[in-house]
Amino acid sequence: MMQRRDFIKGSLLLSAAALFNPELYRHRLLAFEEAIEITYDQAVEAFSAGKKSVDGSALITLDIPTRPGSAVTIPVEINVKSPMNDEDYISAIAILTTKNKVNKAVTVDLSPANGMAYLFANIKLGETQEVVVLAKTNKGVIYKASKKIHVALSGCE
Amino acid sequence: MAKRRAVIKIIDKKYAIGDVVKVQVIIIHPMETGFAKDKHSGALKPRFYVKKIEIYYNDKPVTSFELDVSASQNPKIKFPLKITEAGTLKVRFINSENEVTEKTTKVKPK
Repeated sequence: MMQRRDFIKGSLLLSAAALFNPELYRHRLLAFEEAIEITYDQAVEAFSAGKKSVDGSALITLDIPTRPGSAVTIPVEINVKSPMNDEDYISAIAILTTKNKVNKAVTVDLSPANGMAYLFANIKLGETQEVVVLAKTNKGVIYKASKKIHVALSGCE
Repeated sequence: MAKRRAVIKIIDKKYAIGDVVKVQVIIIHPMETGFAKDKHSGALKPRFYVKKIEIYYNDKPVTSFELDVSASQNPKIKFPLKITEAGTLKVRFINSENEVTEKTTKVKPK
């Protein structure tokens, strides 16, 4: 009798170990871990490192369709007025969203070798929201401009 | 390591030394967010996207882009560049699995 009991205990332990073996769920765990959400505040903090942004709607020209046909590819065109010489230039531009799960789309590093502060990129939006553009000068001043984009169908599955 | 289709091209047709031109780069690449489910199996599709784009003008780094999953799939980007000399323009795409795709184009100012 004792032998049979030991055998049952042992087999139960083994099957429990197999059930909780993380190797079997590795692909699931990886998929969960890799999907990192970035809130809007985190995205702003990562770009500006604690500095407050200044209203730059006079300097930054945004060209985004207000009601795009498809939310999967929304063209965003940015022009920033800047002399782009060695003393005064735009060093970085970021396109951020406000209500996506990951609120960071594209960041570019510029230098006087570019000759112009311009960026074109395609982004996707999950719902109707504001698109925020931040432009950083070499002196650390951050200009902000935004535009509300109306989306009929979500661009994220 | 699948071979990916990508392109780098100078949009302006005629330019001289000192001009500012616009350059366009495109790569055919999915942008999986990691939140979407597969329609057939129901499992989450792992995150897979273009992480970084680097531009080299005569092997000197000029501009770099950092992308995240909110960029659209098959990312298309245009940026300005001041032409200083003839030579080559190279783009390096790096995706989330550190796979590198490189393309070059010639700079011929007239």
